[in-house]
Amino acid sequence: MRLVRQNKIGWQYHLNHREGDCLRSLLSQFPVTASVQAKISKTDADPKTVERENLLNESLAEHRKELKKKAMNLLAPGKFKRGEKGFVLTLSLEEREILLQILNDIRIGCWHVLGEPEELEPETPPQTEKELVYYNLMNLAGYFEVAFLNTYTGDLQRGHD
Amino acid sequence: MPSVLEPITIPKRTVKKEISSKDQFAPTYYVICWNDPVNLMVFVTHVFMKLFGWDRQKAEKHMMEVHEKGKSVLVREGAEKAEFYVHQLQNYKLQATMEPAE
Repeated sequence: MRLVRQNKIGWQYHLNHREGDCLRSLLSQFPVTASVQAKISKTDADPKTVERENLLNESLAEHRKELKKKAMNLLAPGKFKRGEKGFVLTLSLEEREILLQILNDIRIGCWHVLGEPEELEPETPPQTEKELVYYNLMNLAGYFEVAFLNTYTGDLQRGHD
Repeated sequence: MPSVLEPITIPKRTVKKEISSKDQFAPTYYVICWNDPVNLMVFVTHVFMKLFGWDRQKAEKHMMEVHEKGKSVLVREGAEKAEFYVHQLQNYKLQATMEPAE
């Protein structure tokens, strides 16, 4: 995966066929896991904390619904343009942020399902097919996060505008 | 004959800066980001830059603090703004909370 073009409107990435198919598959499956109850404070005993926490969880649920819609938008015809050597994906600044949030939601969701392990590369192979699937999804989402974020520092090949 | 008036000294008007009791006593909160083994360092740095408008150096400093010390105090704000930041950070799936500053 590489950045081929960058201008004021957005970014254009080239993904090989396998990368393009994987990313589209991740987007189409979103959300991969159920929501996890979020905490707003670890110490605050203020009665308002409960109210704030409920509000936070409602807001996160709403945000996830929005992300689902936006994931579908990213899969709209023409967004991933298939060519002979792979896909060209064009993203605006906002779309790239959305994509990063979706990918990290998948990554963190899988980690929760796996029991929040300290070690992300287990010494023994995953014991069940379910575990294997979630480990793979977690790593795949991480791969794309790094690929998209490395373009910020110019680590990937940059094209001309 | 007009009498000579003694000069009148007008007391100097002191303008006290009004401090609203709301500002003075409103509780403040630390917005804290906690370490976890799953969020990628490059991702955490990106989120700090995006949400707080920090340069890479400052964002990386806080990210490393999270990584090495287990947590980093990102900002100190009133309840409403602290809550806003926690929502934003959790939208990115970072483990963030607001804790009373007292």
